[in-house]
Amino acid sequence: MLTKIAGGEIIDPVNGRFGKGDLWIRDEQIVEPPAGGDADRTIDASGCFVMAGAIDIHSHIGGGNVNTARLLLPEQHAAHMARPAATPLSNAGWSTFETGCLYAKMGFTTVVEPAMSPGAALHTHLELADIPIIDKATLAILGNDDFLLSMIRDSSSQQMIEDYVAWTVGSTRALGVKVINAGAAAAFKENVRTFALDDVVPTYGVSSRKIVKTLQAAVDRLGIPHPLHVHCNNLGAPGAADTAAATISASEGVPLHLAHLQFYSYGTEGKRKFSSAAARLAELINTTPQVTIDIGQVMFGQTVTISSDVMRQFSARGSASPKKTVIHDGDGNGGGIVPYRYRQDFYGTMQWAIGLELFLLIDDPWRVFFTTDHPNGAPFTAYPALFELLMSRDARDEMSAGGSNGAMALSTLSSIAREYTLEEIAVMTRAAPAKLLGLDDRGHLGPGALADISIYRKGKDIAKMFGAAAFVFKNGDLVVKDGEISHYRWGRALRLNPPPDKAMVRRLREYHERRYGLSLDWFTFPDSAVAREQPFGEVACRS
Amino acid sequence: MAVAWIGNRETLVEHACEQAAMLLQSSRCPVISFDTDIHGTRAAIALAERVGAAYDHVEGAGLSRETALFTDKGAMIVAPGEVRRRADVVAIVGELPAVHHSFVAELADTVPDLSATNAREFFLIGDEGTKVSTFLGSRKATPLSSDGGLSGTLAALRAQRAGRRVSKQVSNFDDFARALGTAKFPVFLFSGHGADGLALEMLQGLIADINRKSRASALHLPASESGWGSVLASTWMTGFAPRTGFARGFPEYDPWRFDVERALASGEADLHLWISAGSAPPAEDNGVKLIALAKTAEPVAGAEITIAIGEVGVDHEAVVYSGRTGTLAAIKAQGASELPSAAAVIRLVADKIPAEAALPC
Ligand SMILES: [Zn+2]
Repeated sequence: MLTKIAGGEIIDPVNGRFGKGDLWIRDEQIVEPPAGGDADRTIDASGCFVMAGAIDIHSHIGGGNVNTARLLLPEQHAAHMARPAATPLSNAGWSTFETGCLYAKMGFTTVVEPAMSPGAALHTHLELADIPIIDKATLAILGNDDFLLSMIRDSSSQQMIEDYVAWTVGSTRALGVKVINAGAAAAFKENVRTFALDDVVPTYGVSSRKIVKTLQAAVDRLGIPHPLHVHCNNLGAPGAADTAAATISASEGVPLHLAHLQFYSYGTEGKRKFSSAAARLAELINTTPQVTIDIGQVMFGQTVTISSDVMRQFSARGSASPKKTVIHDGDGNGGGIVPYRYRQDFYGTMQWAIGLELFLLIDDPWRVFFTTDHPNGAPFTAYPALFELLMSRDARDEMSAGGSNGAMALSTLSSIAREYTLEEIAVMTRAAPAKLLGLDDRGHLGPGALADISIYRKGKDIAKMFGAAAFVFKNGDLVVKDGEISHYRWGRALRLNPPPDKAMVRRLREYHERRYGLSLDWFTFPDSAVAREQPFGEVACRS
Repeated sequence: MAVAWIGNRETLVEHACEQAAMLLQSSRCPVISFDTDIHGTRAAIALAERVGAAYDHVEGAGLSRETALFTDKGAMIVAPGEVRRRADVVAIVGELPAVHHSFVAELADTVPDLSATNAREFFLIGDEGTKVSTFLGSRKATPLSSDGGLSGTLAALRAQRAGRRVSKQVSNFDDFARALGTAKFPVFLFSGHGADGLALEMLQGLIADINRKSRASALHLPASESGWGSVLASTWMTGFAPRTGFARGFPEYDPWRFDVERALASGEADLHLWISAGSAPPAEDNGVKLIALAKTAEPVAGAEITIAIGEVGVDHEAVVYSGRTGTLAAIKAQGASELPSAAAVIRLVADKIPAEAALPC
């Protein structure tokens, strides 16, 4: 089928295409305008701008910890509307089915779940497979697991460590690797309560820095397109900016991605010993080209924090609102669920302002990524409002006025004039994520690209514009019309598939049998277990 | 071999599914109870949405106590693999379901390789009547008990640890205190099968107390493994655990109202869809109509419609929750047969019910 998207304002930074024009789709792909071709379907995009489908690189949309959070908080996501006719189970307050529909309505077509526990990969993929419309991907968590820590302790060869990382990525169907407070979850099991970059995991004698460096090198050498995704130590602590700065310095010329930098951009100034270090970290990012970051923006209101940083979540139990938490010591990381309400008080306003400072003070939209660390800083449904804050200084001033004056006085936010352009938004939410994840087939509108396209009707109200796309195409299917789901389909989970090393598989079999008394088969699964047609899409490693 | 019946009369599966769909559509208050794998659960919930039914697991009572622990208080929990490798003290809290006894026996047979002590000590928390567990083999478990049953004993343990007075001392408390004093990672094994809500809450209080200064956690050994799998799938699909209903067109979680056994006994429900290859449905009275999906070679007594299904992991491959790994696992068919899975039959039924929305699974 040939579709013509007619007369929209194209914003395609990758191909340098800007301004009014047509876009053609044949079946699943964007194509050159056909010579004298008649479209089977024409979409009138006049008065709209046309971008590639948005890509979210860090959003906790499925897996054991996310599901435990749902279980913990039934009162916070009661459904209240009858089901829309076309979309089953999409009106539940917080379901996989709702997740896909809500993302699609905002013009997002690919979303990465960044924290998959390797042992629970099947559970994660079953949830992702029940998220309709969009494509998904996962990052596998390593760095607190006994197998890796033992290899580092025993000075195993670089090759052996790479074989283990490759096996983990392949068998769990991941798109990359994440390390979360490297070594801290293992140390917490030994009753350690705080853990910094140069602290050492008891009994292994391995530092957090050594774990990060080992995984960073393995990911780089394996040609995994997405650099090691790092959740640093000391999340949320005043003074954590020092930790983040030390981690950035530790990248040493090799690509590294730092997750939700907002949660580390805290200094110790002022009478509350809690201040913004955003300007300092932004400057460091600006001068460290191999490092990328996402923000983890805070927006005000009720949410729940879901993290595999079990040590941090344990220490945050006292701040739970409502007062209930789950703390899980897992095989590797485990995790913690702590519900939380961001108030417009000193701390909440400070966090909110710090996130925006980072967005606005980091110059290069190719290296700063648009996230709220859903749902940790805010649910992803806050994205439209966040776009508005980035694109409008007036909107920021208005919101600042409702916040804590004390916090605003310690922040540079009100002095920053920058407003994101649509081109910068297109880079940050489309082109750059595709590049960062190694997804060459999306993030742009050139011929040959997957026809993942979002079309927004221009308007003064930026949040409204981004909240309900006029049209969204996924793989060439028109899935959203006037902000409502018009076609139901199933996306795939994008994965790498490095071949397993036979000796490593033997080693892992022996390890699982001896240490866990279980066959390795308990931790692997065939594609058929996911029970959908073509649940996975393969992405190539760099050669 | 016959696989479908209307009343006592053999029929084609296709026809039985049509009849089942008609009964479900004409029902005023249909309820579903199931004991099946993840994909059977997913199909049953999709059907429940389509016909406005409420659903529950066949062992809903124990599971609902476990669910309530999470919805009301939260918990500290640990993965089974870590228990095997790290737990130097294991305390069994009340009675555990038989399916988990082999893991406890395995704990008795092994020592924690990630613990400096390389030894494991066992305690058994419960009232005086709790039998010393036979599944520990030659290993001895020190019994801990006081007044007031399991929750009373747990409350007394907490109080004595905090140096508070108790009406009756917990037996062998000093042994327990000594063990906790040196333990690096004590783990309490619990289940909603043998512990009520108050006991589960007391246990978590005790664990929170210990974690102020040292480490401890609890291993959740669910009242039913298939049931906990269904809790997980239901939670991601609807946001809620079973005992959820679609009477108003959207999922509502109400552990009292949608307790299917209660809804049947009270006469609220007029149609019962029973889905289990492992057990027979209870005899219905109150004029409730029964549709039975069961592993059977003959019609189920009293059922309007019977359709034979295969057993998870025997007749067909499946995805199940494993208490041994603490997560979902893919299992192969041990004796693959022609019998359809519950998921396949439920989907056939749901397909016969007209709806604007496609089936989500
Ligand atoms: Zn995150």
